[in-house]
Parts: sequence; C-alpha cells; structure tokens
Amino acid sequence: MSQIEELRQLIVGSDAQQLAELKERIENVEKRAADVAEVLPPAISSGLREDGESLVNALQTPVSMSLKQAIRSEPEEYAEILFPVMAPSIRKAISQAISSLLVTINRTIESATSVQGLKTRIQSLRTGVPYAQLALRNSLLFRVEHLYLIDRESGMLVKEVGSDESDSLDSDAVSAMFSAIQSFVQDSFSQDSSAMLTDLKVGEHNVWVAHGPTMMLACVIFGDAPEGLKTDLYDALYKIRTEYANPIAEFSGDSSDFENVDQFMQPLLQLELKDIDAHAGKSPGGDDRELKAIKKRKFFVALLMFGVAAYFAYKWLDKSTKINTVAHYLREEPGIAATDIYWQDGKLVVEGLKDPDAKVPYAILQAYNIEPDQLEFKTIPFRSLELGMELQRFRDELTLPSGVYLSAREGEVYLYGEAPIEWLSTNEVRIRQLAADRRLTISRLSASYESVSEVLRTNFNSQDLVGVRMSSVARDELTVVQVGGVLDPSNLALLKALFAGSHWVDVTATQDKEVN
Amino acid sequence: MQKKKICMVGDFSVGKTSLTQKFVNNVFSDKYLTTIGVKIDTAEIDETKLIIWDVAGRDSLSPINASYLVGATGVVLVCDGARSSTVSDLLDIWKTVTDRIGEVPAVVALNKADLPEWNIDVSMYTAFEQRGWDVFATSAKEGDNVNKMFEKLVEKLSS
Repeated sequence: MSQIEELRQLIVGSDAQQLAELKERIENVEKRAADVAEVLPPAISSGLREDGESLVNALQTPVSMSLKQAIRSEPEEYAEILFPVMAPSIRKAISQAISSLLVTINRTIESATSVQGLKTRIQSLRTGVPYAQLALRNSLLFRVEHLYLIDRESGMLVKEVGSDESDSLDSDAVSAMFSAIQSFVQDSFSQDSSAMLTDLKVGEHNVWVAHGPTMMLACVIFGDAPEGLKTDLYDALYKIRTEYANPIAEFSGDSSDFENVDQFMQPLLQLELKDIDAHAGKSPGGDDRELKAIKKRKFFVALLMFGVAAYFAYKWLDKSTKINTVAHYLREEPGIAATDIYWQDGKLVVEGLKDPDAKVPYAILQAYNIEPDQLEFKTIPFRSLELGMELQRFRDELTLPSGVYLSAREGEVYLYGEAPIEWLSTNEVRIRQLAADRRLTISRLSASYESVSEVLRTNFNSQDLVGVRMSSVARDELTVVQVGGVLDPSNLALLKALFAGSHWVDVTATQDKEVN
Repeated sequence: MQKKKICMVGDFSVGKTSLTQKFVNNVFSDKYLTTIGVKIDTAEIDETKLIIWDVAGRDSLSPINASYLVGATGVVLVCDGARSSTVSDLLDIWKTVTDRIGEVPAVVALNKADLPEWNIDVSMYTAFEQRGWDVFATSAKEGDNVNKMFEKLVEKLSS
C-alpha cells in the first residue's frame, strides 16, 4: 500500500466503502433502474401536487406517442377495454338517431297527406319557396334562428351562430345596423341613457336582446318563444362575461380570442314544434282524449272536403254530360251544324251554323233536364240542303193534300201520289221548278181521276160525257191523265179549254163525225 | 380576420355614399340614411374587414349623430372640392369626432375632383397634412383614388 493510500485510509476511513458502493450503484444500470423505479411514483405524486401543469406538459407528448403506438400495435385489446365504456354511448346515439328519423318520417307523412300539407304545397308552388322550408315553418311553434354577440360600443360582431336553414345577410353589417338602430331608438325616444331596446317584432320574427355592460346578445326568433328564453339569454351572456372577461375588455375587432364562445350560444338555438310534438311534450303520458278530438276534427274536415269535392265533381260531370247530350241530338237534327258547345254564365252556348227552318229537339232535351231557356244559339244562319231539311221545307211550303206524299230515298226527294187537279194547277209552277232544279222527283205524281172527273161533271151534262174515258200514261217523266173519247165540237172545245196548259191532263178526245 | 369600424363623415351632399358605393358589399338600402341617419356596408381589404358606417351628412339643421361614431377606429373625412365651405367645415366635424372618440386615424377625401369647379386652397391642404391626415383628390364618379384612400386608412389602422 502506497503512502497516499495509507493517508486516504486514515482520513476517510470507513466512508471509502460507502463511496465504492455508491459508485457501483451509479455505474450499474440495473441497480440505478431499481432506484428510479422506487422513487418515480412518489416523485410524480409530488410533482402533481406542487406544479401539476409542468408535469402534465412534460408528459403529454411521450404519453400521447406511447398511447398511439400501443393502440396501433394492439388495436383489438384496446377495443375490448373501451367497449364497455363506448357501447352504451353508441347504442344511445343510434337509438336517438333512429327515433329522430321516425319522428321525421311521421311528420313528413302527416304533412304530405294533410290539408295543411296540400296548402303548403300550393303555397310552395305560388311563392317558389321550397316545400321543406315552408313545411318546417308551418310546423314550428318557434325557432331561434340566429344569435349575435355584439360589442355594444362599436356595434361590431364578436360571434354569430345560426341554424343551418336560415338565410343570413352579411352578419357584420347586420350587427352594426342593429347597433345603429339601438342608438337611433335610444336617441330618438328616450332621455334615459340606460334605457335599452330589448324587443323587436318584425312580421313573424322577434328579436330579443340581452344587454351586458359591454356586450349584447341579440337573438333572432321565428315565432313566439317562451319568456323563459330571455332568462337563458341573460344566463348565457353572464357566463360569456365571466369566462371571457379579458378578451371582452381588450376587444377591438379581433374575434380570434372568442373561438369557443359558441359553446354558450349553441344551446340557445332551440326550436319547438306544434301539434303532436307539442301535445306530447305537454302531457308525456299522452292525452288520449285530446288526440282523439284532434283526429275526430281532422276526420270531419276530411269528410267535409270530400263532400265538397264530390259535389263539384258531380256538377262538373253533369255539365259535361249535358254538353254531350246536346251535341248528340243536334248532330242528328238536319239543318244544324254545331262546331262548339260550352257553358257560359249558366247557359249552354251552341256555336256553328243553323238553318232558320231547322227544328231544335227541345222536347227530347227537356227529358235530359236541359230547359229551352238554358240553350243559347250563337249560330250563323245558312240554307241546308240535307234531305230532312228539304222534306221539312217542302211540307211547309206545299201543304200536301191527302193522297200526296213526300219521301226521301237514296239521296232524292220524291213527291208522289194522286193529287187533286186544282192543287196541281195551283202549285204547278213551283213543283215543276223544283223538279227542274233536281230537288224533287215527280215522275210518280199524277192528277187523281176523281178530281178530273169532278171537273168534267161540273162542266158537262152526264149525256155529254158518255164515251169519255180516262187513262194514265207516262210521258216526259210525268204521269199524265189522258181524257179521250168522242165529243161534239162545242164540248170538245170546252174540254180543251178546261185543261189547256195543264201538264197533268192531256185531252185526246176527238170530234164526233156525225155532227159534221 | 381583423374587423374595423370606420365612419364616413362630412357635410350634406359631399359624396360620402357615392364614395362608399364604389367598392363595398351593398347590404342595406340607402333609405336607412334618411330614416335612421346611417347605413352600414362592409368591404374587405387584404386581411381586414371594414365595417363602414356611412353617417348621414351634416347641415345647418342637423349635426352629425355622434353616437354613431362610438367604437370607430378610423374616419374618412369627406368634403366637396367644388364647395369650399364643406372643406373648411371638416375642422368642425373633426372636433365633433375627437370630442366623442378622441384622435383616431383619419384620411381626407377632397371629392368631386372630376368637376371643373374643383379647387382647393393650398393653405387648407397644408393644414390637413399638418394634422397627419393623408389627403386624396377623389372622384366617386370616375373612381379616382377611392380604393387608394381606403387602403391608406387600413394601413394607418394596422400600424
């Protein structure tokens, strides 16, 4: 042992062994780890107690990295651990989503099939506003559409939250304008500088304003919200003031310090629906009688609507049937060509062509409850050459004696039979004119023997007529009565004079030779 | 994005509204000017959104409504270069502004520069500049210097 060693032994003595042990503890990794493991838990506890934030900050990154690494390497194990915690939440979220979907489906079916739904659809067509938007509006009791957190002094918008469906102008301009209106109202109507504009009503919209010392919270509501909402507004404003005291005091147009302020504003975006939901909300047990009464009312309204619809349908059908009936019977009637039939001021108007001689079948139409005064003819007069019309016209004009007939066959009108010679003489010109115009066929029209005999008996003695004979012959498309026989010269002259010019009687009698 | 409230102030009929119309997002109708005495428009310059309060013009019967100035971080003082009285009135208006909101950055628009009668007294021009105001000969009709003036104001507000 050297002198130095001896000297050291004398000075430090037994401490030397402890130093050696310490040295070994420091140099031996296993022993050092055991030491750290021993002090680590109390060290963390102490660190949390004294300066928790620093410790959390220091541990945040490694813990986060370790956690990510661990989840990546053993995802199933972590899923298993988290399942008991996550599953109920997921189940709850899904069941809420499904029940919300069911409510939506019910409401959609209800609104699509109800009278209100029909009205909404018509309103949508009329105004061009989407059906869904109108349906929602109609079923709303109230809805908070927008909330503006506004700096009172400058009128600058600090934060805005709004429901998705509602339209918005430039929010900064809106809040500034709102603040200007606030100043204007205050300056114009109140001497008291602490008086505030708290309520505004514009059509179906209400604006409620909660005022704080430096901020105001303006709430745009569609419909009529319960008064309790005002308390909620002030509560929210109070929480904002407390939580954001510093940013509010320093606010000069930069809203970045208010990123999370909507957590206090979002819950105010409430809505409440009318009808079934409202009733269900008021009486969770379900007020059956009230619901039944509503259903009953709806049933009667539906019945009434059906009755009205049926009445109008019947009226429409009746009118339409009458048009068809009139059209049918006028079509069958000669001399009327209806081009249009329609209802006007309670009358059936017939347009087209009408022969003044045509007969309207009023009697038949009356059988179908169509009264003559219901018909109004706005027709152009014309002369119809239909056979029926011609027959009608000839009957009226010629006043047919017995034994003479008119008939239509194969497109021609026949005047036939044996007519009194007087009648033939009277109408001869007209009949022959019609025949020449090919409107009448008269080949089978002839003078009757009786009428010719009557003329003879009237003008001659019976002895003079001995030997006089009558016969019919067809000549020049006419049937002519021939009067033949032998007469003395004076009688023959008289006979010829009696029938001179007649196309219907031909005198073929000759003079008695013995007389000469 | 920074938001800044600025006010357009000046005498009646000097062209405040016309200047504003040149480069803003129109939100409200001009009728508000005659009803409540102010109209709000917005415009964006770089990363700043200007909330422009176009305050109804001052005349002998009605002073500008100073309550609309509260919270403004800058003003545009507008006068009609063809009417010298509106130019000198700017000093009165400036007093109203400072009484209510203190000294704020300001720019001056000597408007209607397109008119032949436009004529500015040099001493007045110098007086404006000595106050630290940037002075622009603007024409709302032709659009001359309008954007430049608003950009300058934004620059002053940011510094």
